[in-house]
Amino acid sequence: MAIVAPGKRPGIRIEKSRVFGKKFVRTKKLGYASLMLTSLVDMFTIIVIFLLMNFSANGEVLYMSKDIKLPDAFHGAQLDRAPVISVSGDAVTFDGRQVAHTADLMKGDVLNVPELEDALRDERRRYDQIHQNEPDRPFRGLVNVQADRRIPFRIIKRVMFACNQSGFGNINFAALAKGSLPRDKKIALK
Amino acid sequence: MAGASPHPAVHGGKKALDAELNLVPFIDLLSCCISFLLITAVWTQIAGLQVASSGGPPEPQQNQEATIDLKLLLTEKGYSLTMPGAQLDIPKVAGPDGQPTFDKKALAEKLKTVKSNLPDQTAITVEPEDAVAYDDLVSTVDACLGEQLRNVTVAPLN
Repeated sequence: MAIVAPGKRPGIRIEKSRVFGKKFVRTKKLGYASLMLTSLVDMFTIIVIFLLMNFSANGEVLYMSKDIKLPDAFHGAQLDRAPVISVSGDAVTFDGRQVAHTADLMKGDVLNVPELEDALRDERRRYDQIHQNEPDRPFRGLVNVQADRRIPFRIIKRVMFACNQSGFGNINFAALAKGSLPRDKKIALK
Repeated sequence: MAGASPHPAVHGGKKALDAELNLVPFIDLLSCCISFLLITAVWTQIAGLQVASSGGPPEPQQNQEATIDLKLLLTEKGYSLTMPGAQLDIPKVAGPDGQPTFDKKALAEKLKTVKSNLPDQTAITVEPEDAVAYDDLVSTVDACLGEQLRNVTVAPLN
């Protein structure tokens, strides 16, 4: 008996058949596999729609810091872009620049914070200078205050006093929005 | 690959009606969109609670006759809602961690009662003690805004 390679061996009649004979012809498999791109496109489309739904044209209004854990609010409005005063457990910063130590604000009975007031006055001067030829954009005195949730009011009131002394009367307390934040609801300015 | 339909057998020189879509540029576009949106995404929604400080000019109320001078004191004992001729104390309750916390639920109910009696009332003065945390101040202002008391003034208690 002749030695043959292992595998399926059809009979002579089936091997010569036009219909069944092709099954037993040994050919090399193609190296290319076709990818199913339809499901990939579906997934991409869903991701794009999800990201578009979450898209915010305002961008980052606040300087988020890991030292500051904001409290929650259910009835807040959208924040406008404005100078930001951040109060963490260590420092008080104005637009990312440190102006005072938080521990220093805990001491004493005086309310004023000279460094913060100077920074706010500089900011107001800068705004007036930039918009001096735009009478339709008057100074609104808008300032955003973000503080860690454990910061006592003793420090907050000194920050508010400094804002008042510098002409920033529209104070917005920053908080994490819980629930849906209405997109058309803007903070009404006085 | 990525065809709209399998190729039908063409007999007699007829052209196939189904066209094959080229999905590669579409995938490129979607990839660019995803990258852009991921980079510019803002994951934390920040809300703003507008307040006036005691030194600032208060917003004039529309109907002065139908409003009262409403004050909400935040002390170490709890809330104290004061109005001309009346004072209502809302003591602290035990929180989830056992620590006494401000009773925001009771405050919301009282403010709702005040608002139902005085529908034109929009102003309230929140007066916290020095030791009151920013978290409690914000949640109190939030409760006031939730009951349509939109002109919140924050002033130190002492």
